Amino acid sequence: MGRYTIRRLLQLIPVLLGTTFLINYMVWQLPGDPFAGRCGQRPCPDSYVSAMRAQFGLDQPILLQYWQFLKNMLSGNLGVDFNQVPVVTQLADAWPITIRLALLAVAIEAVIGISAGVLSGLKRGGFIDNVVTISTLFLLSLPVFVTGFLLQWLLGVQFQIITPTVSDEAPIMELIVPAFVLASLNMAFTARLTRTSIVENRRSDYVRTAIAKGLTNRRVVGVHLLRNSLIPVLTFLGTEVGSLMSGAIITEGIFNIHGIGGLLYRAITGQDYTIVVPIASLLVLVYLVSNLLVDLLYGVLDPRIRYE
Amino acid sequence: MSDPSVTQDLIHGGEGPAASVVSSSNRPRSLWQDTWDILRHRKIFWISFIMLILFLLMAAFPSLFTHKNPDYATLAKSMDPPSGEAWFGYDLQGRDVFARTIYGARTSIIVGVLATLVTVILGGVAGVLAAYYARWVDSILSRIGEIFLGVPYVLGAIIILGTVAPAQSSPDRVTIMAVVIIVLAVLGWPILMRIARSSVIQAKHQDYVQAARALGAGPFRIIFKHLLPNSLAPILVYSTITIGSYIGAEATLSLLGIGLREPVISWGIAIADHTSYIRTGAHAMLFPAAFLSLCVLTFVMLGEAVRDALDPKLR
Amino acid sequence: MVEVLSGPTGRGSYSGALLEVENLQVEFHTRQGVAKAVNGVTYSVNPGETLAVLGESGSGKSVTAQTIMGILDMPPGRVAGGAIRFRGVDILKLPEEQRRRIRGEGISMVFQDALSALNPVFPVGWQIAEMFRIHRGSSRSDAKKKAVELMDRVRIPGARDRVNDFPHQFSGGMRQRIMIAMAIALDPEILIADEPTTALDVTVQAQIMGLLADLQRDSNMGLILITHDLGVVADVADKIAVMYGGRIVETAPVHDLYRNPAHPYTKGLLESIPRVDLKGQELYAIKGMPPNLLEMPSGCAFHPRCPYRREDCATAVPPLYPISGTRGSACHYWREVVDGSR
Ligand SMILES: Nc1ncnc2c1ncn2[C@@H]1O[C@H](COP(=O)(O)OP(=O)(O)OP(=O)(O)O)[C@@H](O)[C@H]1O
Ligand SMILES: [Mg+2]
Repeated sequence: MGRYTIRRLLQLIPVLLGTTFLINYMVWQLPGDPFAGRCGQRPCPDSYVSAMRAQFGLDQPILLQYWQFLKNMLSGNLGVDFNQVPVVTQLADAWPITIRLALLAVAIEAVIGISAGVLSGLKRGGFIDNVVTISTLFLLSLPVFVTGFLLQWLLGVQFQIITPTVSDEAPIMELIVPAFVLASLNMAFTARLTRTSIVENRRSDYVRTAIAKGLTNRRVVGVHLLRNSLIPVLTFLGTEVGSLMSGAIITEGIFNIHGIGGLLYRAITGQDYTIVVPIASLLVLVYLVSNLLVDLLYGVLDPRIRYE
Repeated sequence: MSDPSVTQDLIHGGEGPAASVVSSSNRPRSLWQDTWDILRHRKIFWISFIMLILFLLMAAFPSLFTHKNPDYATLAKSMDPPSGEAWFGYDLQGRDVFARTIYGARTSIIVGVLATLVTVILGGVAGVLAAYYARWVDSILSRIGEIFLGVPYVLGAIIILGTVAPAQSSPDRVTIMAVVIIVLAVLGWPILMRIARSSVIQAKHQDYVQAARALGAGPFRIIFKHLLPNSLAPILVYSTITIGSYIGAEATLSLLGIGLREPVISWGIAIADHTSYIRTGAHAMLFPAAFLSLCVLTFVMLGEAVRDALDPKLR
Repeated sequence: MVEVLSGPTGRGSYSGALLEVENLQVEFHTRQGVAKAVNGVTYSVNPGETLAVLGESGSGKSVTAQTIMGILDMPPGRVAGGAIRFRGVDILKLPEEQRRRIRGEGISMVFQDALSALNPVFPVGWQIAEMFRIHRGSSRSDAKKKAVELMDRVRIPGARDRVNDFPHQFSGGMRQRIMIAMAIALDPEILIADEPTTALDVTVQAQIMGLLADLQRDSNMGLILITHDLGVVADVADKIAVMYGGRIVETAPVHDLYRNPAHPYTKGLLESIPRVDLKGQELYAIKGMPPNLLEMPSGCAFHPRCPYRREDCATAVPPLYPISGTRGSACHYWREVVDGSR
C-alpha cells in the first residue's frame, strides 16, 4: 500500500507538469494582448506595455517562462497581478470560502443523495422511487445556473427567506443555498448511483445470507447491504470534489461569493492571467489529488482490491 | 445491450449467423422492435417526443409561433412586465421576450446537435480504432482521453474560450458558434470513445466477427459492417442525452460571457443580459431559463426513456 | 398434533417430526407467466436424521429450502399453499419477527457458493461473531472468542490468526467451513445444506461432507442435504426425497431406494451414475428435456420422458402412492418399476 501510494504520487508529477504547461501555454501564448485593453478607452502607451511585458516575463521564451512559473509555485511566491496586488493574499482570502462551500456541498450531496437513493432502491417502483426518479431527472436537466437563479429569485426575492447574495465573510448559514445549488447535479447522480447499487446488491447472495442469519431487517440493510452499496457512491463523491471546485465558478458568480471561483471568473473576464494560471493549476492539483485519495480510499472500503 | 447479435439482426435484416436467434414467439424479434414495444407504452416517451417536435418546429419555423421581429427594439418599453400584448414582457432593450425566446431555440438546438455530432465522430472514430487495433493504439488513445477528462469541464471550457474568444472580442455569428461547438466537442469526446470502445470490444469477440476475419474480410468491412452497428444503440442513447447537456453547457458559457454573444439570439445570452435585474425584472430572465430547461429536459428524458426500454433490467 | 411451545425458539416437547413440509406450493410471477417451481412438496426431518433431497437442476430443491428459511425472493416468488411446521407450528403463519428469531437459532442454512454468500467487506470472524452479538447480545470480545472456537471446531488451521481475514483470502474449502461455522454457531436444530460441496474439488468435498456428518452426530441436528451427488447420499443420508418438476416423485429410506427404485425417474438417475464395477458399459442418460415450469406437462410431469408411460399418464396426476413404511412413489405403475420389467 505504501509503495503503491508512492508510485501513484510519482505518476502524478508528469501529469501535473503536462497540464500546468498546457495552461501556461494556452493562457500566455494564444492570441490577444493582455495589456492592450487596460488603459480605458485609449490604447495603452507602448512604454506601459513593454514595461508590463518585461515585469511578467513575456519577452522571454515560453520554456523559460514556465520554468520561472514552476520555481515561483514551489517557493510559494506567486508575484503580483496586473494591478500590482499580491496574488497570494487574494488566494488566501478566497480559498477558505470555497473550501467551506465545497465541503458543505459534498455533505449535502452525500446526505440527501444517499438517503434518496437508498429509499428509492429499496422499494423499486414505489412512491418514493417515482418521486426520486422524476426529481433527479429535473435536477439533471436544469443547468446549474438556472437552479441558482431560480432559488435566488424564489427564496431571495419572492419569499425573502435568504439574502440573495452572500456577504463578504460568507458565514455557513448564508452558504447553505449556494452549496445546495452547487451540489444539485452531483446530488442527482449520487441518488441514482446509490439506487442502482442498492438494487444490484439487494438480491446478492450475501444479503440473503444475512437474512438467513436471522438479523433484523434494519441490520441487513443498514450494515450488510449499505456497506457494500456505498463503495461506488463514495468513490464517485470523492472523484467529484475536484470538479465541484470548478463548478463553484458559476455558483459563486450567481451569489456573489468571494471565493476561488469568483476570483478566477473575474480574472478571466479581466484577462488577468497572473491569477488565472495559479488558480487553474491549483484546481487541477486538487482534482488529481482527490482522485488519488479516492483510489486509496477504495482499497480501504473494499478489502478485495489489492495494490501491486 | 446484453446481446449484440440482436442489433446485428436489425442492421442486416435478419441475415447472417444472428438470424437463428428466435424467441418463444417463433418469430425473430429485433432489439428495436422490443424497444419500440416497451416505448409505446411509456408516457414519458410520448411527452418528450411531443416536446421534441415542438422545439424542432420552433427551431425550423419560428415564425409559426410569433410574427414579431426579435430584433425590433422599443427602448421606451424596456423591462416592461408580461402583458396581453407581449406575453413574456420586454427585455432591457425593449425587445419582445417571447419572440426572442422562440428564436433562441434555433441557436441552442443547432449548437447542441452539431456539437454532439462532432463529439460522436471524434469519439466514435477514436473508440472504434482503439478497440479494433487494441495494443498501443488503444493505450495511447485511452491516455489522451484520460487527460481530457482530467480537466474539469467548466474550467477547461473557460480557459480555452477565454483565450480563443475573450469576452471583449466580438467575433461574427458563424465563427463564435463554430468555436463553441468545437470546444464542447473537444472536451466531451472521451466519454463517447469509451462507450464505442467497450461495445466494439464486446462485439469483436463474437464468433461471427471472428469468422468474418478468418474469411479474410478487411478492417473497413469488419468495422463498418459488424462493429459499428453494434455500438449504435448505446451511442444513440448517449448522444440524445448529450444534446441536452450541450444545450445547457452552451447557455452556461454564454452566461459567463465567453460563449455565444450578440448578435446571436440565444437563451443563454438572454439570461446573461438580465442577471442584474433579478429583483426588478425577473421575467426577462425566467422565461428563457424555463425554455432552456424544458429543452434540456426533453432530450434527457427522451434519451433515458430509450435507454430504459433498451435495457429493462435497469428499471 | 399437540402443540406445546415455549416461545418460537424454545425447545418444548412436541409430537410428530421436528420439521414437516406439507403440500408446499411456490410459484414465481414472471413476465412470461406463472412458473410453478414447487407443486406440493411433502417431507419431514427428525433430530439426528439426514434427509437427502435429489433431483435435476430446476426441480425446485432450492426454492423449497428457501421457503423453509424464509429467504424466498418475494416478489416474484409467492407461497401459494401448504404448510411448514417446525416443532408443530406452521412457521408460514408466524409474524416476521418470530420467523427471524427462528433463522439461525432453530433452522439455519449453508449455501452452495461460499464466496458470494459471505459478505466480501467484513472479516470472517466478525461475520461469525455477529450471530452471537445479534441473537445472544454477547459483547464484542466474547463473540469473537466464540467465533475462534467455532473456527477451530470446523477445523480451520490457525483459526486465531485468521479471524480478521476476509473471505477472499481463504480457499474454497476453508470458506465453506466458515459458512458452516456461521450456520451452526447457535446450535440450530435443523441445518439445511444446499449443495454445500458442488463448488469444491473432490478431496475437499469428502472433507466437508465428513465435517457435516460429525457435527450432526455431535449435536443431534436434523440435516437436509440438497445434492446432485448420488454417491455422497448413499454414505450419509438416512432417507431420500427425489424431486422432479417441483414434486416429490419418490421418498424412501436410503438403502431401499438404491436397491430397488420405485419411480422411473429415480431408476434413470441411478442408472446414470458411473460405476466402477460396470466399467466399459455405456452410461444411461434420461432422454428428453426437464419440464418447462410455465407449461407443465399434463398428468404426470415425467410422462414425456418415461419409458413406462401408458395413456393415462398424460391425464391423471399420480399421487404419492404409499409402498411400505415411509416409502412412497408418485408413479401409477410403480409396481412394474419395482419388478424391473420394462
Ligand atoms: N427468483 C426467482 N425468480 C424466478 N424464478 C425462479 C427464482 N428462483 C427460482 N426460480 C425458478 O424455480 C425453479 C426451481 O429452481 P431451484 O433453484 O429450486 O432449482 P434446483 O432444484 O435448486 O436446481 P439446482 O440443482 O440447479 O440448484 C427454476 O426453474 C427457476 O427458474
Ligand atoms: Mg439449487
